[in-house]
Order: sequence, then structure tokens, then C-alpha cells
Amino acid sequence: MSIQPSEFTVATSHRYNHQNAIRWIFSHIWQNRVIAIACFSMTIASYIFFSYAQVLIGQAAGAIIESNVTSTVLDAETGRAISETGTGNALPAIALGILGVFVASGLFDLVRSLSLETLAQRLEAGTREELYISLLGKSQTFHDRQRVGDLMAMATDDVFQLNMLMNPGVLFVMDIILGFAIPVLYIAMLNLELAIVPVVFILAYIVLVRRYSSQLNPIAYRQRERFSKMNAAAEETISGIEVVKASAQEPRERRRFQRNARLFRGFYVKQGFIEARYLPLLVFGAAFGIAFWHAATMVSAGRLDIAGLIGFVGLFNLLRFPTFIAIFCFTLIQLGIAGADRILKIIRAETELDQNIGGHTAAVNGEVVFENVSFGYDDGSVLKDISFRVDPGQTVAIVGQTGSGKSTLTDLINRTYEATKGRVLIDGVDVSEWNLTSLRSQISKIEQDVFLFSRTIADNIAFGKPNATQADIELAAKSAQAHDFILSFKDGYQTIVGERGTTLSGGQRQRIALARAFLSDPRILVLDDSTSAIDSATEDEIQKAIRKMQEGRTTFLITHRLSQIRWADTILVIERGELVACGSHEHLLRTSSHYRRIFARYDIELPPLENELEAAIPVANPV
Amino acid sequence: MGFLMDGLDAESYDRKYTDKMLTRRIVGYFRPHLRKMAIVAGAIVINSLMDTAIPIVISRGIDRLQLEGESVILPIALIVAALAASSWVFNFARRALGAQIIGDVVLKVREDAFDAVLKRDLSFYDSYASGKIVSRVTSDTQAFSNVVTLTLDLMSQLLLVVLLIAYLFTVDVRLTLITLALAPFIVMTALAFRRIARKVVTDSRRVRALVSSHVQETVSGISVAKTFRQEQAVYDDFLDVSKRAYRINLRAGFVFSGIFPILNLMSGIGTAALVYFGGVWTQEGGLTAGSWFLFIQGIALFWFPLTSIASFWSQFQLGLAAGERVFALIDADPKVVQTDNRRLPKVDGEIQFEHVKFSYKDDEQVLHDFNLHIRAGETLALVGHTGAGKSSIGKLVARFYEFQGGTIRIDGVDVREFDLEWYRSHLGIVTQTPFLFDGTVRSNIRYGKANATNDEIERAAQHIGGGDWLVSLPNGLDTQVGERGASLSMGQRQLVALARVLLQNPSIFILDEATASVDPLTEALIQEGLEAVLRDRTSIVIAHRLSTIKDADRIIVLREGDIIEQGSHDSLLEQGGHYAELYNTYFRHQSLEYMEQMLELAGAD
Repeated sequence: MSIQPSEFTVATSHRYNHQNAIRWIFSHIWQNRVIAIACFSMTIASYIFFSYAQVLIGQAAGAIIESNVTSTVLDAETGRAISETGTGNALPAIALGILGVFVASGLFDLVRSLSLETLAQRLEAGTREELYISLLGKSQTFHDRQRVGDLMAMATDDVFQLNMLMNPGVLFVMDIILGFAIPVLYIAMLNLELAIVPVVFILAYIVLVRRYSSQLNPIAYRQRERFSKMNAAAEETISGIEVVKASAQEPRERRRFQRNARLFRGFYVKQGFIEARYLPLLVFGAAFGIAFWHAATMVSAGRLDIAGLIGFVGLFNLLRFPTFIAIFCFTLIQLGIAGADRILKIIRAETELDQNIGGHTAAVNGEVVFENVSFGYDDGSVLKDISFRVDPGQTVAIVGQTGSGKSTLTDLINRTYEATKGRVLIDGVDVSEWNLTSLRSQISKIEQDVFLFSRTIADNIAFGKPNATQADIELAAKSAQAHDFILSFKDGYQTIVGERGTTLSGGQRQRIALARAFLSDPRILVLDDSTSAIDSATEDEIQKAIRKMQEGRTTFLITHRLSQIRWADTILVIERGELVACGSHEHLLRTSSHYRRIFARYDIELPPLENELEAAIPVANPV
Repeated sequence: MGFLMDGLDAESYDRKYTDKMLTRRIVGYFRPHLRKMAIVAGAIVINSLMDTAIPIVISRGIDRLQLEGESVILPIALIVAALAASSWVFNFARRALGAQIIGDVVLKVREDAFDAVLKRDLSFYDSYASGKIVSRVTSDTQAFSNVVTLTLDLMSQLLLVVLLIAYLFTVDVRLTLITLALAPFIVMTALAFRRIARKVVTDSRRVRALVSSHVQETVSGISVAKTFRQEQAVYDDFLDVSKRAYRINLRAGFVFSGIFPILNLMSGIGTAALVYFGGVWTQEGGLTAGSWFLFIQGIALFWFPLTSIASFWSQFQLGLAAGERVFALIDADPKVVQTDNRRLPKVDGEIQFEHVKFSYKDDEQVLHDFNLHIRAGETLALVGHTGAGKSSIGKLVARFYEFQGGTIRIDGVDVREFDLEWYRSHLGIVTQTPFLFDGTVRSNIRYGKANATNDEIERAAQHIGGGDWLVSLPNGLDTQVGERGASLSMGQRQLVALARVLLQNPSIFILDEATASVDPLTEALIQEGLEAVLRDRTSIVIAHRLSTIKDADRIIVLREGDIIEQGSHDSLLEQGGHYAELYNTYFRHQSLEYMEQMLELAGAD
């Protein structure tokens, strides 16, 4: 098994088999093999005792009939006195035996249920933790392609399906196998000939159940699929109801829902039909009749006594339960394996980055160079052949439409993504040669949607430097213009983010992120300042903080504020992943039609466009 | 048993139905299927009779085999097989027909519920999360059908138990009483178990929610954890949560796993008692071996239905509660009611508010006595603090909400007299966060005008910023927008929404501008698009962009539902009143000169 590169590993964690879903599940079970083996042997013991009760009942019948025969004969002459003197009445002993057997079987059953439950819960917790470690180790490229909702569903629903696969899925499988095998074994021990009918029945059962599940599964699958489609469509209509109503499209949405609901109804009825037509139960009924005929014939031929017949009927009746539960167990197992497949696909997904522990470690000076850098996912390129150079301490504004690749470009600097072509150099060293921790700890990025953890504000500020003192934290908050509003909360720095009543505004989040950055004192700063809905006073505060932050640091600025763009040392204009213009504000106004368009609606005088220059100077600071 | 606590959140439109009303309602939905229902009922009775008969025939057979010998074997075996086969057939009929009936009833309830939802005005959607509404339409309707399935199952099982007990009494009263003595224990155990189960299930659900939110947080914040290299700390936190979840789930699992062995044990004790006492009494005479065996077999048929009877009531009530929730949704009264079906030959777009009173909730008056005349073709910008009533004005024109007093006239006609669908087809509305349906950009532009040709769509799209915005979309008009338009940026969604409105060519345009800032290039395109839309039609713009305000014909300044100033940008700014204050609060930093002002400010420090 090859060891995958990963950005994060846990030294103590066990390595599981990732070849396929079943092996993977098994390797998790193997971690708890003692419990698994205990559970399996308990199941066997429980079935041995449980089925033996029927044999004992047969023997009880024998004891009753035997004494009955003698007593009825004698009854006519001397009344009931004889039955008391009937020698060797085995009934009380057998009844006690039956009680004992049931109690033993019950206890074994209890232990096996509890151990199976433990096994199931450990499987759930174990797979959940493995998935989680694996998620932490995946690159950002991976996470960009995954929806948070899908990963959440995996870490909760799919691992729960694995739990269900064990209990009751595997429980039912054991019940089916042992519930057939052990009674049949007892039947064979009673009389080998008697085993013919049950064995033939079991063979028929196997064929029929396979056919049944091959009919049911596709329908059940499509029914579930239809349900979620109906749900999703209804959810969409209701979320977009303002558009629906504004465009007077209610009839169309009504028709769409009715179509979905009808399709679902179709599969529901079909599934009901298939389930109703569960043939093994019919065959069981017929086999029961034949088995009775067979055993009774043997009785009248003298090859079996009545006690044997009663024991046989009792044992045969035990086969009804495993016949019946097969309906449930296939779906459970299939859902569990499907969930395991999904999780395994994530765990196995290639991730291209590793921690590079032996890599270059140094204090960053702040020179950033892109040399013919391209970047793309499997399904298309995001950045194409980008080259520029930034001196330490410069401020670079990046301008372009959303989705043009601005953010991706900055993500290449701290190696969140890895360039697919070309090189990104920090202080002349390729980022892929830097020790990942050394590189990332000296580059701060403040995201557009600032993410805060549900912890205290102090913890959030100290996130990158867990050993920071309260004084450090407050100093950082003051530099970020966040101190005052933090103190305005009842619990100050101990306020827990996101708890009732303390939802932070976009501007406040951004300032906490700035404080976080101040505290980790990076050499390169990336600022995605596209915050929404900010009033002018907040913007004043943020601008103060940003200006302070920029001092002496190389800064990349993604901003929507025209006034800020104008003041950058260098402006990169990106369109569809290509660097279409680069230079100072004045230079770009003269040379770039894209850039001019932005300012066209404002009351400023535009210099004449020098068309020929636009193509001639794509790079302001040639490498 | 996770369903125990699902979806029980009450909403204000919920109402209590009396049992009689609820029953009448449910029966009403089943009435069209009376014939099938009768067949199902018949099948249940026959099925139960046959299932009872099988063990009886076997026990009789054992007795007669001893007395009469070989001659009875074949007839008895044939009877057993025939009973089993016909029991299967009737069970099949019952289940297959049952699925049809339930499928049809659920379909009808669903359609009614969805229709009812579509008829609600927007105040309804403001109050209730879309997920909850949907779950009433899809999941609660399904849960409601469970009532029916449960009742059918219970009926057939009860019938089986009653028939069997009745027969057993005729065979031997004492043994029947022993069998029955077991029943209270089984039922009590099952009930006690349910009480414990409810508690552990709640705990387990809580801890699962905790795991889920932890994963959500980590995955959403993964880039932060990576940037600061804090994966280990995050993992340690998770391990705590995961271990806790393991312990709590294990406890819950133990409760559930423990119940069946315990119930099995009880039926085992019962069986042993029957074997002994039945045996003794058989030996004393008065009971045949076959009958004795019947009692022992009977106990197995007996205890399973008993455990399900114990859990029936609560499940039945859950189903009924689900039904109640669905009916409450269907029965909620619509608030926007039209008095007539008027249509006009054309709409010019003159709008008049006369003494309009409006509130979303009873205690918060938004508009007290609002008067405003908007000329046909005018572009009107509304500004004011949050809660000043800007959005309400647009929404009242759109007839999304009912107002409580005064009149709103469109081209002189009371807005309440219009045919609502016709009227709305003459409005174009773009909301703050434009909603797109999963599909292509093209299908979204076409949404308001289903029969539009590709040519028309192309033209509408080209009308905005000369079509330059399409260039940045990977597949132009055929770009998939994703769920709710998530694959497009907010700015791009606004462009699509503007194109959608242009295609509709409405007489009145209402725009609630996005507060989210948009990248400067897209912003320029949106401004160009807006120019195209605003031209020649009445427009009401709830303005968040400085540039839109500057271009408006008239700016209305609102405070607490009153118009306190109006005029042009420059004249209002000069007055130095409320508008100047608003400008300073919301718009100053959007101006091109902002950085220079900041630098001055910093220099002055």
C-alpha cells in the first residue's frame, strides 16, 4: 500500500486497508477482533440453546404421551391414582431444562447484542475519525471541489449507515445463516431423512431471495432518488418564491411538483407491489405442509415417534423468522456498503501537497515572483501563463471580474494551491521547496468571508499563535481597530463567536481577522477586501487598520474599492485567468480599455487611450 | 427510531383539530378509494383467520394421527399448505392494494399542500424557513400515511391475537389464563423501554448534531486551519467530540439492543411454564398432546403483536400530528385577496399611494399614512436607514403583502381589483439576492416568458453592457448556474436577473439593490445594464449604490415610514439634512475620492 502525501497526519493512527469497501470495513472490524469473535461465538451459543428448546419440547411431548398412554389404559379401571405412581415421570426435569435453556439462550443473546452494538458504534467512531484525519490532510484544491454539505453527510449519515450495516444488518445476516443452519442441524440429528424438506426449502429460498432483491433494489433506489428530487425541486420553488410570484409562474411550478409527486407515487406503489409479492413466505407455507406430510408418514411407518414429530414441527417453525427478515437485511447492507464506498473515495482521493518537513526554512523578506505560472483543475485552466515581480514592501491591487482567478492567484503564494506550470518564488526560492509550516506561518490571508471558529474572540485572534498572552491579543486587537467593539460585548474577549445574540457583522469579522494577522506578524499579507454591506464609519476603521498592516509588508489587495485601487503601487488586471494589463493607475488609464471602463462612469478626466501600448507592455516589472 | 422527535417544531399557523374534524378530514381523502379499502379490510380478516387456523390444524392433526393413523396425513398436510398459500394471496392483495391506496392518498394530500403553499403571500415565506415548509409537504405527508399502514397492521395482528385467544379458551381455560398472564409483563416492559428509549434517543440526536456542526465548521474553516498550520489542535477538538458521541451512542444502542433478549427471555419463561403445567394437565387427562403443543406454538404468535401494540399509540399519535401539521398548512388563510379580475389593455406605470397603512406584524406599523405619486416613466430612488420602509413600498406595489388601510392605484385602478397573474406579468422585480433556478443562464433569462425565442434571449443579454458579461461565463448563455445560482458570482446573478427583466419588458420595474459589493468590472456592467432597464419605464429603486442614486430622477428620503425630504442628489446634499447624514453613513466610502479623504484624515492624526 503506498503512502499518500498529506498535509496532515496523526502519528498514532492505525493504517487501514483501502483496497475496497468490504476490506476497509473488515480492517476496521479487525481492530476490534476480540469483541467480534466474542459476538460471533455468543450468537452461535445462543442459537444452539434456543433451538435446543424445541428438541426438549419434543421430548416433553414424548414424556407426556408415554405416561398418557399408560394412564389412559389404566384410567378405565382404577381412576386417576395411577398417574401419580407413573414411574420416572421426566416432565418436571424437562420443563426445568427448557427454562434453563431459554435463560441461557437469553443471556447469550444479551451478551451478543451488547457486543455487536459496541462493535457497530466503534465502527462508526473509527471510520468517522479516519475520515476526519484524511479531510484535514487534503489540499485546498480538494476542498474547493467538495461541497461542505456532502462531507458533512459523509461524516454523519454515511458513518451511521456503517453502524446500521453492523447492527442490525450483520445481526440479521447471522440470524439468517444460523437461524437456518442450527435448526436444520438439530433436525438432521433427530432423523437425517427429516432434513430433506428443510434443505430443499433453503435452496429454493436462496434462489428466490436473490431474485427478490434484484427486483426490489433498483425500484427502492429509484424511489429514494425520486423522493430527494421531489424534495429538492419543492425546496427550490419555495426558496425562489419571490421570483416565481413576480414572474407569475405559479402554474408552471405547480405542474412541476405534480409531475415529481406522481413519479414518486409510481415507484412507491411498485415497491409496495414487489414487497407484497415476497415469494419465500409462500414457499415456506407450502414447505411446511410438505414437511408435516413427510414427518407424519414417517410416524405412521414407525420410523419416527410423536415426540420427534412435535420437535420437528417446532424446529421447522423456527425457519419462519429468518425467511421473513431477509426483506430488511439486504437494503441495510447495501446502503452501508454504498456509504463506505463514498467515504473511501474521499479517503483515497489523491492530494498533491505534503508537509515538506525537510524543506527550506528562513525568515521571509517579501519578494514575490511569478514565472509563467499556470494553474488549473482537471476540467479546465484557471490561470494562464502569468508572470510578474513584486518587491518587498510593495502593495499590489488585483482587479478582475469575480471568477477571473484573482483569489486563486493569491492562493498560489502560500501554496494553498500548487502551480501546474511555471514557478512561484518567494525570496528567490520556489514555494514547493519551502517547509510548508515555515512558508505558511509567514503569509497571512484575510479571506473575503472571514471564517471564525465557535470559540472565544480571544481564541480566534490567537488561533495561529496559541501561546499568545492576553496582552499580545489586546495589542493586536487595538492595531486592528477591534479592541473597542470587542469590549462593547458583555463578555469582552471571552465572548463566544456565534452564540445567541453575538453574531458579528462583516466589518467586525474582518477586523478580528486583521487582529489574527497582526498577532502572527506575517511578512506577506493577502487581503481579500470585498466585504459586503459596510457603512462608511466601519470602512474608516478598517482602512486605518489595513494601512497600519501594510507598513513594511508585501501586500496583495483584492478590493472593490476604486479609491484603494488607485493608490496601489502596482495593479494587476486579470481577465479569465490571463494577466491582461499591469502597472500603475495612470499607466493603466492610458493603456487598458478594461481598466478605463471601470472609471468611465465617474466624473474624472480620462487620458487618451494609447491603443498600441496595451499589447506591448503586459508586464510592468519584467522578470 | 429517530423519527420520534423529527419535525415537531410548532409554527404559528398550526391549529388544533378536534379528533372528529381530523377523522373527517382523513376519511375524506380515503373516500374515493372505498372499494379498494373494503377489499383490503376483507383480506385482512381472511388472512388473520387463516394464520390462526394453521397451528390449530397442525395440533388437531397430531392428535388424530395418534387415533386414526395414516389416513389423516395427506388431507391435513394439504389443508396446511392450502391455508398457507391462500394466506399469502390475501396478504399480497392487502399489501399491494394498500400501497396503491396510500400512494394515491399521499399524492393528493401532497398536491393540496403544495397548492396551498403556492397561494400564500410573502409574509408566510418570511416567517417560515423553506426547509420546514418543504418537510411538511413531502415528509409529513409520508408520516401521515404511516397512520394508515400502522392501523392496518395493528388490525390484522389484533385480529390474529383475538381469534387465537378465543379459540384457546374453548380448548383449555387454565392454560389460556397462563398465556394471558404473560401479556401485562410484555406490554409493561415494552412501555418502560419506550420511556428510556425516548431519553437516550434525544441525547443521541443531540450528540450527532454536535458532530455534524463540528465537521461543518472544520470543513468550512479548513483554509484558516491550513494557513495557520493548526490541524492538530482542530483534530484534538474533534477527537473529544467523537469520543463523546461514541459513548452516548453506545449507551443508546445498549438500550435498544437489550430489549429483544429480555422479551425473548420472558416468552421463554412462559413457554417453560406452559410445557410443565400443560404437561401435567395432559397427563391428568382432559387435554390432548396436540392441544398442549398448540399452546406452546401459540405463545410465539402471541408476543410479537403485543410488543407492537405497546408502541402503536405513540406512533399513531405521531402520524396524526403529522397529518395535523399538513392540514394546518393547507388550511392557513391567504392574506392577499383580490376583489376582482380586472385587466387593462396596457399599463403605463403611474403609481399612487393614498393614505396607505401597512405593517408586517400587528404591533410594528411600517407605514402610517403614506402618500406618494410616481409618474409613469419616472425613476425613483428610495433611501433611508434600515426599517425606514423602503422595501415595503416596492413589495406593496408588487402585491406581495396585504396593506391594512388606504389605496394603491396603478394607472388609476385599485391594485386589489386586478387579475393578480396578469398584473404581475407587467412587473419586473430584481431582489437584493437574485434567485436563480438550477439550469443554464439561458433558461433563467427565459423564466418569466416561457415562449421566448433564443433570439429574443440573445438580444436581452446583449442589451446589457453590450454582452461583454457573457464573455466571462465559461459557456456563455449555456453556462450552468448551479443550485440557486451558486456557480455565478453575486454580480453575475444580478446581470442574469436584469436580463430576465429586460426580456419580460415590464411596465413597472422594482429593484432592491444588492448591498453586497461587486467587483469593479462587473459593477460597471451592471450600471450599463441598469441604464437599459430603467429607460422608459416606471422604476422604483431601493438604492445602495451611490451611482444609482445620482442617476435617479427623484430621490425620496424616508424615515420611519414618512417622506421627509425629496429632490436630486446635489440639492439634497446641499440642504445638509437627513440625506446628508445618510450619505455620510452609507455612501461616502463608495466615492472615488474616499482614499484621499482618508489620507487627509490620517495626515491630520
